[in-house]
Formats: sequence, C-alpha cells, structure tokens
Amino acid sequence: MDLIINLVINGLATGMLIFLLASGLTLIFGLMSVLNFAHGGLFIWGAFTGVWAYQTSGSFTLGIGVAIVTGLVLGVITEKLIVRPVYGNHIQQILITLGFMLVLQEFIKVVFGPNQKAVFPPAFLEGSFIVGDIVFIKYRIFIIIVGLLVFMVASYILRRTRIGLIVRAGVMDKEMIQTLGVNIKVIFMSVFMIGSALAALSGMLHAPYSGVIYAEMGLEFSILAFIVVVIGGMGSFTGSMLAALLVGLAQAFMAYYFPALSLAVNMILMTIVLIFKPQGLFKVEGGAR
Amino acid sequence: MNIQNLEKSTWFYLCITLLLFILPMVITERSLQFIIIQIFIFGIFAMSYDLLLGYTGIISFGHVIFFGLGAYTTGIALDRLGATIGSLVIGAFIGVLLAAFVSLLVGMLTLRLKSHFYAMLTLALSGLFLVAAEKWRPMTGGNDGFTFRLPDIIREPNHLYILCLIFFVLIFFGLRRLTNSPFGKVLMAIRENENRTTSLGYKVVYYKVIASIVSGVVASLAGVLYALSLRFVNTGVFATDLTIDVLLMTIIGGVGTLIGPIIGAGLVELAHHWLSSLADVHWIFERWIILYGTLYILVVIFFPLGIIGTIRSKLAGRNK
Repeated sequence: MDLIINLVINGLATGMLIFLLASGLTLIFGLMSVLNFAHGGLFIWGAFTGVWAYQTSGSFTLGIGVAIVTGLVLGVITEKLIVRPVYGNHIQQILITLGFMLVLQEFIKVVFGPNQKAVFPPAFLEGSFIVGDIVFIKYRIFIIIVGLLVFMVASYILRRTRIGLIVRAGVMDKEMIQTLGVNIKVIFMSVFMIGSALAALSGMLHAPYSGVIYAEMGLEFSILAFIVVVIGGMGSFTGSMLAALLVGLAQAFMAYYFPALSLAVNMILMTIVLIFKPQGLFKVEGGAR
Repeated sequence: MNIQNLEKSTWFYLCITLLLFILPMVITERSLQFIIIQIFIFGIFAMSYDLLLGYTGIISFGHVIFFGLGAYTTGIALDRLGATIGSLVIGAFIGVLLAAFVSLLVGMLTLRLKSHFYAMLTLALSGLFLVAAEKWRPMTGGNDGFTFRLPDIIREPNHLYILCLIFFVLIFFGLRRLTNSPFGKVLMAIRENENRTTSLGYKVVYYKVIASIVSGVVASLAGVLYALSLRFVNTGVFATDLTIDVLLMTIIGGVGTLIGPIIGAGLVELAHHWLSSLADVHWIFERWIILYGTLYILVVIFFPLGIIGTIRSKLAGRNK
C-alpha cells in the first residue's frame, strides 16, 4: 500500500511537469495550428537559467522567477524570429522549429558547459514527512500543488475572463474572431509567451526532482509532451491535464515494475488512441484538424 | 526502350555514373575514397527522405529508425552468422522487411491525419528505438556498439566502393523513374493540394502509405551500406543528429529534386570532414550543430527551394 501510494504521488508529480510543458504546446497548436518542436528547448533553458540563479543566490524562489523570465523572453524571440516568418506554411514551421530546438540545445552546452549538473531541492522542501505510516516526499507534493494551482488559474482565465473567451473562440475558429475585430496576433503572442513560461517553469521544477539536468533532457521530455498532446486531443487544455496525469502514472508504475518498457507503454497508449480516437480523447469542437 | 528517346538529362547522369566508376582508379587515397562512399550512402538516405518531404509533403523526424534497422540487422547477421555473403543477404533482407513493416504501421496510423502526427510519432518512435538499442545490450552492445568482419569479397575498399556505387545508381534511377511515373505525379498532387487530389478520386492515404514504405525501404538499404562501410554499429545510428543531417542535406540541396539531396549529402559530408579538423582552431567548430542548425533555419526562411530548386526556378524564369 505504502509503495502504491508513493508510486501514485511520483506519477502525479511527473504528470504535472509534463502538463506544464504540454499545456502551452496544445494551446499554441489549437490557436495557430503551429506545432512548436522548439518547446523542449524552452524547458531546458528554464531549467539551466533557473538553476544557475538558484545556486548562485541560494534563493529557490528567485530561481523560479528567473526561469519564468527566461521563458517569456525566449517565447518572444521564438515567435518573432522563428514562427512568424513561416506562418501559414506547416511544413516549414515543423522543420524550422526543430532546427531551433537543436540550436537551443547546443547553446546550453556553450553557455553552461557540456556536463550534467547536480541540483538539490531547497532546504524548506527537502526531506519528507509522515502521515499515518506513509512517507511523503515534500518536493513531490510541492510539484503537485504548483501544477494544480497553474491548472486552476489557467482554467479560471480560460473560462471566466474575456481574454480566455477570445482564446477559446480562437481555438475554435480564428478567422471568425478576426472579423469581430480581435487582433489575433497579439493574442497569439501572449499565449506563446505564457506557454513558453510554463515550459521554462516545468524545466526549473524538474531540476531538483530528477536531481540532474543535462541538455538532451529537453528533447526526451518533449517527446512525452507530444504523446500527451496527441492523447489529450490537440488544442484541448483540460485534455492535456488528464492525459499528462495518465502518462505520468503509466511512466511511474512501469518504471518501477518494468523499467525497460516505460517509454514503450506510453507509445502503446498513444498508438491505441490514434487507432480508435485519432482526434484525441478530448477533441475540441471545430478546432484545428 | 528506344535509345534515341532518352532525355538529355539521362545522358548527363549516365556520363556522371561512368565517371564515378572510373574514379577509384584516379583517387587511390583511402580516406578520400571513404568520404566518397559516405556521400553515396548519405545520398541514398537523403533521396529516400526527399521522396517523403519533397515529393509527398510528409515530414519524418525519425527517418533514422529505418536507417538504424538496416545497419543493426546487417551488423548482427554478419557478427552472429559468420562473415559470408549469405549472412549479409539475410541481414539486409531482414532489415528491409522490418523497415517496410514499421513504415507501413506508422503510415497506417498517422497518415490519415495532419502532417504533425507523422512527425511526432516518428520522433517518439526513434526515441523508443534508441532506448531499445541501448537497453538490449546482449544483442546490440549498447552505446559501445560492436565491430564485425566483412565477407572476403567486399573487404577490398575498391569492391565496397563499387557495391555502394551500384546501389546508389540503381536507387537514383529507380526513384527518378518512380517520381516521373503517374504514381509520382499523384504524390506531387498530394503535396500541392491534398483535398483536391482526394476529390479527383485518388485514395490519398494509400499513395502516402506506399511512399512511406518505399522511403523506409530505401533508407534501410542506406543503413545496410553504412554498417558495411564502418564495420561497426552502435546506437549512433538511431541518434537525432543523423535526422538533422539528412534534413539539412535534403533542404540545402533542394526538396523535391532528387539530385539536390545528393549534392546536399556531398556538401554536408565534406563539411563534417572539414569542420572536425577545424575544431582545434576555435571551440565553436566543436559545437557544429549550432552552425548547422542556424544554417538550416536560414535556409528554410530565405532559401526554401534549396540549391537545385533555386537554379531550376531561375532557369525556368529565363525560358519564359
């Protein structure tokens, strides 16, 4: 029982990190049908800059702040320099964002050195506490709480505010809301920046969780995010949350019982979804096909 | 086929082929011959990629899957069954069969959907194959890889050169014939406008899946030759670096031209050779992916037709 609860918490924590990465990906895709293969690059840049700030200043909060700022800045650069010139051409978009991903990944090695770095959680999140006879690791609980908070705030914005209404309408039919006088470019830019910031936050939170950071983890982690986007339905925010938890749990349990199969099981999940529900489990009505 | 009906360009290509057959007698330096063999192999790989990207408009980020399958099955067969032509044929055959099967499966799953899905699924699948090759140590030797002996006949570098050249020429003319056939025209129609092709009564998915299989099989043959040329296989054959290499070759040379990717393969291979010797001069050359990635982004934005594509469109503009 102890083991199962720990695996569940582990899975939920991984799932939350994947969700932070995948939610930006899915909204950007839904809004502009741009599949940003460079998203994993923002993840590692968030992790490395955040960890750098955290380790030099000693303040974890400052580290998170720096990671988010990095995400916002890189989001603007990616959108303006990389995505906008090829807007409307799917093939070029896919090609160019992958190229940018590799440039981001290699620049990490130039700036921070090619070796992996060890990261430890801050003192106030280190260790564990015991409820009944079950041991909870503090940092994992922290990740789950942050993930839930982000989900709730973003859901609130998407459902209850005017901006959220515009974004949701944009996902359904972007031509229509342009005719209603909404400047979709501004909206898209903001969604891109927020998505990038979430990816960077995800990277920063992932660093003490896994204990080491290295440049290639961006591509590895973004593969999980792609699987989540496909399972959850491209463009669906809630779908990305549920699919991320599913993938995180599958990952955690398989990594414990059959470590060799942990990536395979997610591929199988994705394959089953592609066969039976190719639009994903939570298809967005009228969304990008 | 009537000799007089051959197109001018065919004569040109045949002359080049003849020159390439004579080349090993002129260039006897081993390292240079090795580079040319690599250009043939990556030329084949890039042509297979061009059939997908340039002719059909499908993006694959895991084309290394097929390349790696061919390389591994060949290496394993030669290692386990002994260094004979028989085991080489068995290994290559299994590699081609596996590549055909995987490309059929991936194609059936994702080609009904938008191009993003094929790109994502192949990227994820290549990650899976990389992990599998690392984990299945008893068979693959993991990241350290394994060396193997070649059959006596192709141990002579000149013979290996001729073998690679024959495959290269056959595949080039084969793919050229395929892309000029009615089948190839349908592929190009799909690239230009998928909905209209459907409305003309073509089963688009069927054509796309066939293109995916042909491309996978050709890529696996490139993998077979790659293993033979190195006499060594490790997990590097499944690495994303190779995918970016082949993307770069295809895009620099010119998508949808078939000859472009070959030129791209030549340029990239020579650049590899050249850049690795520049690594002592400045550290940036050690991180050559940055240069490649930047070059690649610039080409996609400013030069989307590539070298051959740009030349052709200039020529076509002058004739009009």
